[in-house]
Amino acid sequence: MIPATLLTNALLVGAVLFCLGLVGILTRRNLIVMFLSAELMLQGVSVTLVAWSRYHGDWGGQVLVVFVLTVAACEAAVALVFVLQAFARTGRLDASAWQALREENLPRVIDHGLPADDRVVPTWPHLSPAGVLPEGDDSRSLERDHV
Amino acid sequence: MQSSAANLLVLVPLLPLLPLLGAVCTVLLGRRLGPRAHIPAVAGIGAAAVVALLLLLGTATQVGAGHGDPPRPEPVEIISTLWQWATVGDARSGDLPATEAGVPIAPGTAVSGGTFSIPIALRLDPLTATLLMVITGVGLLVAIYSIGYMHDDPGYPRFFALVAIFVFSMSMLVAASNFLLVYVFWEAVGACSYLLIGFWYTKPEAARAAKKAFLVNRVGDFGLAIAVFLLWMTYGTLNFHDTRLADGTFVEGILGQTRIADEAGYVGGAVGTAICLLMLLAACGKSAQMPLHVWLPDAMEGPTPASALIHAATMVTAGIYLITRSAPLFMGCPGALTMVSIVGATTALVAALIATVQNDLKRVLAYSTISQLGYMFVALGTGTMLGFTAAIFHLVTHAFFKALLFLGAGSVMHAMGGVIDMRRFGGLRHVMPITAATFLIGACALAGVPPFAGFFSKDEVLASLHAKAHPDAHGSDHGEAGRQPPETGIDAGGVADRGVRSFRPASMTSRSSTLASRSTGTTDHAATTEKIGLDALDHPSTWRLLFWMSLLTAGLTAFYTFRAVFMTFTGPVRIPKEAGHHAHESPPVMTNPLLVLAALSALSGVVLFFTDALAHFLAATPSLNAPAVLATAVAHAFHPDIAIQGTLAAAIGIAVAAIGHLGRRSDSPQMERYLGPLGALFANKFYFDPIYAALIVKPLEALAMVTAFFDRAIVDGTVDAIGQVPLAWGSAIRRMQSGLVQRYALAGVVGVLAIVLALAWQLRP
Repeated sequence: MIPATLLTNALLVGAVLFCLGLVGILTRRNLIVMFLSAELMLQGVSVTLVAWSRYHGDWGGQVLVVFVLTVAACEAAVALVFVLQAFARTGRLDASAWQALREENLPRVIDHGLPADDRVVPTWPHLSPAGVLPEGDDSRSLERDHV
Repeated sequence: MQSSAANLLVLVPLLPLLPLLGAVCTVLLGRRLGPRAHIPAVAGIGAAAVVALLLLLGTATQVGAGHGDPPRPEPVEIISTLWQWATVGDARSGDLPATEAGVPIAPGTAVSGGTFSIPIALRLDPLTATLLMVITGVGLLVAIYSIGYMHDDPGYPRFFALVAIFVFSMSMLVAASNFLLVYVFWEAVGACSYLLIGFWYTKPEAARAAKKAFLVNRVGDFGLAIAVFLLWMTYGTLNFHDTRLADGTFVEGILGQTRIADEAGYVGGAVGTAICLLMLLAACGKSAQMPLHVWLPDAMEGPTPASALIHAATMVTAGIYLITRSAPLFMGCPGALTMVSIVGATTALVAALIATVQNDLKRVLAYSTISQLGYMFVALGTGTMLGFTAAIFHLVTHAFFKALLFLGAGSVMHAMGGVIDMRRFGGLRHVMPITAATFLIGACALAGVPPFAGFFSKDEVLASLHAKAHPDAHGSDHGEAGRQPPETGIDAGGVADRGVRSFRPASMTSRSSTLASRSTGTTDHAATTEKIGLDALDHPSTWRLLFWMSLLTAGLTAFYTFRAVFMTFTGPVRIPKEAGHHAHESPPVMTNPLLVLAALSALSGVVLFFTDALAHFLAATPSLNAPAVLATAVAHAFHPDIAIQGTLAAAIGIAVAAIGHLGRRSDSPQMERYLGPLGALFANKFYFDPIYAALIVKPLEALAMVTAFFDRAIVDGTVDAIGQVPLAWGSAIRRMQSGLVQRYALAGVVGVLAIVLALAWQLRP
């Protein structure tokens, strides 16, 4: 494949990733999804960097991407802590729960509640329990039905 | 002699310092001292009085017996330069109008390289020493009196602090040896006056009177400021005394001995007359002469001791001091001098007429003060040695008897519970014998009853006028002096044989030749026999008119003074209900100053007149040692004819007052009912206040309203409108601050997109 075509394709992929991430971050209200969208944008840029790096034959771009990945990993950890904390405060993962920093006397941005969850919780076949039942509170489920 | 002069040099700055120290202590410790807050101020003023006495005696020992006939002492002048206040180099760059007018800046000497410097210099000469003694002496007595008068007043410490500051300012005013310093302290005493008139500032009349006094004084102060500018332009210095600069240049002071001795040292003509008239305006403001006299009667809203000290005895004489000090300047401008007399005589007569129908005891005294100050102006305007010394003589005796009268009135007011309307009380001699007796002595002195002080000083004033009105009867001496060459002018009059004076008719032409020879070489203006403009007023017929006006004033003075005495102290005893339990003689702390002042009012005139001490002493003042003044000196004499006229006028006045008021109820119908329409004119003070209100106050108020409207509607409106713009923008844009993260992110995206598009547009191929 000729380098120009490779570059064009890679840039297209990067742009698509970036735009998906952008749309995601602007439209989704779930904090984790928003964070994922941000990661998507970051990776789109990383792809672009790698493509240009290949095109120019300069390893610097790829080295930079490795660093970006590393930093993004750390950043993901920190961001998830924030998300967890935010959830602990409000019990919701909705970004629109956090709008107290608006100008005084402005009405709260009216948003519609989340659509009613009419999904049928599937019952999954599971193996019969074996071994010792772990001690703890049975009423608290360790997993949530949905996020 | 030398050590004595050195001692005086130390004492001069000490004198104003002591009251200032007293004032500072009163301000700092006043609240803590409480009812003893008078101690620092009284101690400071008392110490200053002692220093003033030392200075007076010290100066007196410096004044020699003099030589010639009449004896003329050598000028005595001690200058104490404390420090240089401000120095502006090269202040005279650019050409000067004064030199264009053909006037030498300093004949025979180099100008000080255009350096403008203001030395803080204090001077001591007979005039200053006399006034310092009066200021601190009367100030001390008034301060002691105030201990009794002001007790229990909530502003007790404030009052004493102000009195002490006033004594400081006034001492500095008369001791300053520089026109700029004089101006500074001219304003300072005005400020003290303002603060003391408005002492009871919660009382609207007092606040209004204080404002009026301050504003009317501004008119005069404006005159003084312009006069000082003109003096600087004309003479290149503002110092009174001669100075030698660090670089050895000699600068002739405006009233320094070099210039005074110099026949051609002073500017005549338009510039000189302008300076003198502006100074007269200043003096009119401070000394309450027409047309700026309107503030003084209202100033009686202040505490009575302040009225006695400031508005009767000392501050209002600042104008007299200024003109006496500037005598050599005035001598070159006979027209301005005559104006001084005309203003004085008119004021004296008008104020006396107004005083005849006043029913407020303090207002009678206030108009009397204006009238007596007019007397001093009349004497000053004669421009003779007799006139100047008579004015200061009258100033001194007036300070004593008018302070006495005011303090007596204060004592009455104190006893009557603040009532000062003479119609509401009477027969008080039974209630307050000491006050009545001392008041009577003061009244006799004011009315000019022989042998009280006022008689002699008034006699001198009238004599000085008479000499000008009838030059052939009195003025032989200056006629002879005038004929001598100017170089020997100082001694000439003395050498001249006085025995033959009656054989030499000194007619109008000889007076003109006096003027001509006196001003040889200055400008050809004064040398001409034909007098032009204002100078044409200097004519014996003018002086004859002024003499008769003054004599009429003397009669009126006697009338209104004794009208007040009879209304207040004779007749059936009547006491207003406001007096309560107060209606008794004042405490000794108040009556003792009255007794001292009564003694001074009774005796000072006799002593000073017959020993001729004051006149001889004052003649050693450099300003009065000018050849032009010296040439007019005549031998000290008692003028029986004038004394008889003056006494007759006083006797008639007292007799009329006795017919109208002696022994009657003071609220019974008064003599003014015979005056007809004139009574209304006098009672309304010649309608000065309504005229000023219509001509000056109302137009200014209208202008103020217009400017206020302009300010509020247009200036403020514009500012407010400009202020509304960001607010409007803000209220539009603030909706974007929604607090939603995603909207912010959207704004960021839109922004980046805009930048990218703009870049793309820029970089399009």
